[in-house]
Amino acid sequence: MGYRPKQPVPYSHKLHAGDLGIDCRYCHVGVEVGPKATVPPTQTCMNCHALIKTDSEKLQLVRDRWKSGFPMPWVRVHKTPDYAYFNHSAHVKVGVSCRSCHGRVDQMEEIMQVERLSMGWCLECHRDPAPHLRPVSEVTHLAWEPGPDQATFALQTMATRNITPPTDCSGCHR
Amino acid sequence: MKKRDTGSSTQGGRQYWRSLDHFVGSAEYNELVQREFPEGTLELGQKLDRRKFLNLMGASLALAGLTSCRRPVEKIIPYSVAPESIIPGIPKHFATSMPFGHDAFGLVVESHEGRPTKIEGNPQHPSTLGSASAQIQAEILNLYDPDRSQVVLRGDLPFRWADFVHHWRGLREDHLTDKGARLAILSGAVNGPTEQRLVAEFMIQFPQAIWATWEPVNDDNILQGMFEAYGNRLLPEARFDRAQRILSLDDDFLNTGTAALRNSRLFAARRRNIDPVKHMNRLFVVESGYSLTGAMADHRLAIPASQIGPFLAALTMRLKKQGLDLPVIPDGEISTHFDDHFLDALTKDLLSNIDGSLIKVGRSQPPAVHTLAAAVNEGLSRGHGISTLKYIHDSKSSIPASDHLLSLTESLREGKIDTLILLGSNPVYTAPAELKFAELLSSVPNTIHVGSHRDESGQQCHWHIPTAHFLECWGDTSSLNGTLAITQPLIKPLFGSKSKIELINLLVTGVEKTGYELVRESWRKRLKGESFDKAWRRVVHDGVFPESAVKSYSVELRPDAVKEAFSKCAQPPDHGLEIYFQPSASLYDGRYANNGWLQENPDPMTKLTWDNAALVSPETAQKLGVKNEDIIAISHHDATVELPVWIQPGLASDTIVLELGYGRRNLGRIAQGSGTDVYPLRRSDGLYFASEVKVAVTGRKGKLACTQDHHGLDEEQLARQAIQDRLPMIVREATLSEYTKHPNFARERVEHPPLESLFEEQNYDEGYQWGMAIDLNVCTGCSACSIACQSENNIPVVGKEEVSRGREMHWIRLDRYFSGSQEDPEVVFQPVGCQHCENAPCEGVCPVAATVHDEEGLNTMVYNRCIGTRYCANNCPYKVRRFNFFNYTKELPEIVQMAMNPDVTMRFRGVMEKCTYCVQRISRSKIVAKNEGRELKDGDVVSACQQTCPTDAIVFGNLNDPDSKVSQLKMQNLNYELLAELNVQPRTSYLAKLRNPFEEMKTSAKSENKHHDH
Repeated sequence: MGYRPKQPVPYSHKLHAGDLGIDCRYCHVGVEVGPKATVPPTQTCMNCHALIKTDSEKLQLVRDRWKSGFPMPWVRVHKTPDYAYFNHSAHVKVGVSCRSCHGRVDQMEEIMQVERLSMGWCLECHRDPAPHLRPVSEVTHLAWEPGPDQATFALQTMATRNITPPTDCSGCHR
Repeated sequence: MKKRDTGSSTQGGRQYWRSLDHFVGSAEYNELVQREFPEGTLELGQKLDRRKFLNLMGASLALAGLTSCRRPVEKIIPYSVAPESIIPGIPKHFATSMPFGHDAFGLVVESHEGRPTKIEGNPQHPSTLGSASAQIQAEILNLYDPDRSQVVLRGDLPFRWADFVHHWRGLREDHLTDKGARLAILSGAVNGPTEQRLVAEFMIQFPQAIWATWEPVNDDNILQGMFEAYGNRLLPEARFDRAQRILSLDDDFLNTGTAALRNSRLFAARRRNIDPVKHMNRLFVVESGYSLTGAMADHRLAIPASQIGPFLAALTMRLKKQGLDLPVIPDGEISTHFDDHFLDALTKDLLSNIDGSLIKVGRSQPPAVHTLAAAVNEGLSRGHGISTLKYIHDSKSSIPASDHLLSLTESLREGKIDTLILLGSNPVYTAPAELKFAELLSSVPNTIHVGSHRDESGQQCHWHIPTAHFLECWGDTSSLNGTLAITQPLIKPLFGSKSKIELINLLVTGVEKTGYELVRESWRKRLKGESFDKAWRRVVHDGVFPESAVKSYSVELRPDAVKEAFSKCAQPPDHGLEIYFQPSASLYDGRYANNGWLQENPDPMTKLTWDNAALVSPETAQKLGVKNEDIIAISHHDATVELPVWIQPGLASDTIVLELGYGRRNLGRIAQGSGTDVYPLRRSDGLYFASEVKVAVTGRKGKLACTQDHHGLDEEQLARQAIQDRLPMIVREATLSEYTKHPNFARERVEHPPLESLFEEQNYDEGYQWGMAIDLNVCTGCSACSIACQSENNIPVVGKEEVSRGREMHWIRLDRYFSGSQEDPEVVFQPVGCQHCENAPCEGVCPVAATVHDEEGLNTMVYNRCIGTRYCANNCPYKVRRFNFFNYTKELPEIVQMAMNPDVTMRFRGVMEKCTYCVQRISRSKIVAKNEGRELKDGDVVSACQQTCPTDAIVFGNLNDPDSKVSQLKMQNLNYELLAELNVQPRTSYLAKLRNPFEEMKTSAKSENKHHDH
């Protein structure tokens, strides 16, 4: 927790996801379909930055890498051990928000790990998912707060979506 | 050795034993069985002494205080431009095809982010029908072979590809001047329309050149036999699903024979217990070795291979005498020494059966036997009115013939050839010994070797050009019945090598063209109708072009040929010692010698790993005065080969069975030192069997790693005396008639009091409950499941030394049990993986709860918790748990790491592992279904072993779904559980094996002048 490594390019989620309001899924495309959230390819950055801030010094590395074809060497922040297999889509599709595990990313200049991400921490939610569920449409709306009817809503959504988070070892350990 | 006191065995007098040591209760066997993990083994390949121990302790103490606390920085490297359809973490599947001699296998390959990791069969392709053999599964390791050649070599120096192109262009100009009169190419089988087209173009460019093809294991005899019978080089395609009675004459059609995958599936259709009384077929096998087909047989006769022709002649005369319409065969009797009773009963059974009979002859038998069999088959199908054979011939494919090689060597000897190109062919290793190809090769001024490794032939050539693996190339293939398929690459050539067709194109035109263009060119005319691109994409996507299958030929027998064949067959054979060559069940002709998975895969019958041996029957061994592992020198003409003996019960007398493919010299680290090369004994007049053999005992002993006595199922520990009572409970067999009388025999075989647990049992009524049923009726013992599991679950290769200590890591093993007499046993196979017991004995004893039960019935293994106590393995009655004694992946080359499945954890040293019912596949399917908002249905989750089994012997699924296949199988009365009386309640169960012997026949017969009765 508190791990906040320096990235090769000072990309600010606060600017892009927060102030500009770009949805998480614009860049992290794999999050609803597969196990990994996927850090975007350089092409996604250049979608805008070929036209916007084309002379910015901060983006120099991006432009260089785009030209040369070498990928961007981002530093990984959130990691579970290799023997634990986490699947993003199984969580995002039932209404677990990015915020539950990654915190208020839209307020971070630099990404920092704010949750433990330990097995015990995961099990806290798996044993009682109710406080962490929200309507699927609000998953990337990080400012959303649960309302007073959270308990009823949670019960309802757990029933309709058949939410049964595994608490057995085989759920994550393969 | 005194014979073990077997006590009274309760089940129909049937005894079971796993090896000859077991049978006689030798001291070595007892010692091995008592200790699952033999002691005295500490370091991988090293001896530990006190000094070293203290050194190690000292080193680790010194390091204890120095590691930093922060975890290492890890990078995420995304794409620069993401490929459109790849989502990291979700594998994609692509159809491709693999050429294999003159057959081809349609495959579906799983690819993770552009890196192929698992090969499976393409259900739409006729040669695989969805399954894949052990060798096909292991091809993925051939792709990632660190010993593959990576650069163009001239002599020993690396050169650039452009240099070779330049060199060839010069040579080509020279050879064009005399239309290629001094040019020769020796290749393997030419397979696929593009290759054929290019070969044709080559012959147009160089009309005087020689293009010879040679495959060391080939179907020449069959084709020649058919040519004599019908005037055309045809292949008989057997309709096993239509034949009620099958006689196999030295044809291992279930494993090493041609079209084995397809034949297994068709055969199983008539074997499995759906309605056994009406449908179950009967298999007679007459062979000299002990093949898997022989193991499946209801009646087996072991005679030397040279006597199979005379056997067929004798049978033919009996059939004619009993009324079969065979106009060309003369009347009368020929005196034979074959068991009259066996022949008479066989005759009767073949004739009486109204539902189709079939005689299938193996590739080892000379053409005359095939011709004669064709005539008999025709007579039989006329009599029954059911045709069980189809004759197919892909007229477009050039099927290799030995004459090519012989005429090429003639030209070489006369010094006519200036340039010889070896295109994926290795004659120094595989060519018939009397040709002395190595010498011929050195006499040619320009030699170019094209191959995946700089092998025995490549070492001698001037140039060596690496070829790409089929998983890296564009190409096309043609299967036996002419079905075309496209080979599409799963990954760019790892070392920038060229594909075979790209090379041939260069040879022909002197100009480079990509494989993609070449293949598309070949298909442009073929794909009619809709736009070419659309049709092309469809064929590439499907992996098969079904419209291309050749229809069968109508054939007309040539009576003179049959007469001649008959008189050849009726010749009395030589007696005396005989050697019999068979392609290795793992390494085939040697092409897989550098493949770790296949080297470690125990040979299905002998259970030997990493080595071949001279297989002899117990009687022959006694005659020669040898025991297991004694090294003998076998001489045939001017060649002598030394290798250790292994006694194999059930072999024909006076026969030594030798496996091809071992003793390779320049292939790589895995192949080095493994086994003995027996090709020096193989001459063109005795490619499959030969007499004029002398054997000398050298007095030295070899060391063979055999797994047959490992992981003995709780034998000595639990019930010393009752061993013979126990084994019939583990493998439950009966004849069809016994089953008809006692349909519940399988369940009744074990008597035990009602099973009650001391504790409250878990309720498994809800959700998915995974279970597995294995049908012993159709399991052929091929071990495809074992290798598929190894591929899917990243199971390490441990090497010969460790295997000899019982540390092979296969999660699912094939247990092979002999039953009956030493001289003429029957064989049954049983695949055993983790049984996922509901009351698992392994779970309660883990001190750290590293192995626990989940809600769906799986016994899960949590590797990071395991501290390596090994108590769980101690408690497991099935001995299915495997321990990582060493860090087997420490020195795994990076390229081999690419073959690993990223969805399965790589295990470190000190951690227990075992079959997980492919939990990664279960998870993946569950998540996919959940995301789509639906439940899993039967067939959504397919374990790796189930997926690849050619006969669908393994069935996996949800027990809580009454309509699932596995639930249906478990309800059959043949269903039983292994060691059920221990009340472990395993989720895996077995369907007892039924044999279908002919009541009038003795259950086994032996020829020659034997008069024992057992």
